[in-house]
Amino acid sequence: MNYSHRLFANVLLALLLLAVSTALPAASPMIGRTADDFALKGMDGANHRLSELRGQVVMVNFWATWCGPCREEMPPMNALYQRYKSLGFTVLGVNIDDAQAGAEKMAKKLGVSYPILFDTDKKVSKQYKVSGMPTTVIIDRNGKVRHVHFGYKKGYMDNYQKEVRSLLAERG
Amino acid sequence: MKAFLRSILFFLVVLSVSTGFAADEVTVEQPQATASALDGEVQTLKQDVLDLNKELFILEEELLFPSNTQVAIFISMDVGEFFNLDSVQIKLNDKMVANYLYTPREVKALHRGGTHRIYMGNLPAGEHELIAFFTGTGPNERDFKRGTEMIVKKDIGPKMVELKISDRKTKHQADFVVKEW
Repeated sequence: MNYSHRLFANVLLALLLLAVSTALPAASPMIGRTADDFALKGMDGANHRLSELRGQVVMVNFWATWCGPCREEMPPMNALYQRYKSLGFTVLGVNIDDAQAGAEKMAKKLGVSYPILFDTDKKVSKQYKVSGMPTTVIIDRNGKVRHVHFGYKKGYMDNYQKEVRSLLAERG
Repeated sequence: MKAFLRSILFFLVVLSVSTGFAADEVTVEQPQATASALDGEVQTLKQDVLDLNKELFILEEELLFPSNTQVAIFISMDVGEFFNLDSVQIKLNDKMVANYLYTPREVKALHRGGTHRIYMGNLPAGEHELIAFFTGTGPNERDFKRGTEMIVKKDIGPKMVELKISDRKTKHQADFVVKEW
């Protein structure tokens, strides 16, 4: 193999590696770290604090009324909550709309039974560096972030279920 | 040449396998002794890490909040029958320094005599304006917001201020009592 052929092969390999590395999703820096604590007013009128849920597996789902995929994922997410809540699993639906009324109406319309919290001043979504909707953060019983998911497509809920089941099976 | 290289390779393979067996023999003889020694070392390391963590925490507090400029504000409740606390905001010299939402569990803890350190910071010596706002539900489940204002005189040494929410049974409403330690 002469020099030009070797050079071409090396360049092709480098381009291939670059393409693969950019195609792979970057792991969130939150994974493995203790989830940032927060307290927000809930739709039930009470204040909810994340650290009080230590000992449970918690799924924090950031959503908005203008987000189509959010509306699509909330009913199956509610089903997941109903299925596993007795085993120590809960979901916190953190809404980031400027006004609560629209979010309340939508949550009721979708038949959501897990706690809906209001982050109207976007303080918590900034804390969690939420860059797109929906963003789902799954926290283990020890308060550590174990999975972070961006967006929602059909089939994602199966993955969430596997992750939740795995975390529920872990000893604290 | 090829035969020579093959014989060298064969010799190296035999040597590596024999040392592997020897290593296995060594490990088979002393597994229990090394395991218990390792357990002891791990326990010692864990204790060292905990002690170091504690020292770092104390050092961090002393560096960030040295006692000569330290100011701490505490919230407490006395009975709380006529005021169900929802949140507290604290302003120092017109700057919001704390905004805390209380959960039902935390309110229960306050009712039972707990004290919450809502703010710790640094202030230079002199007079400083402290304003506290309390939000909650008063009698008949009505939303209630009350404020209190005071001047904090900061000297050399730590300053601690307690804001107590106290029932005034004669007026059937909560009263906010400020106490400096």
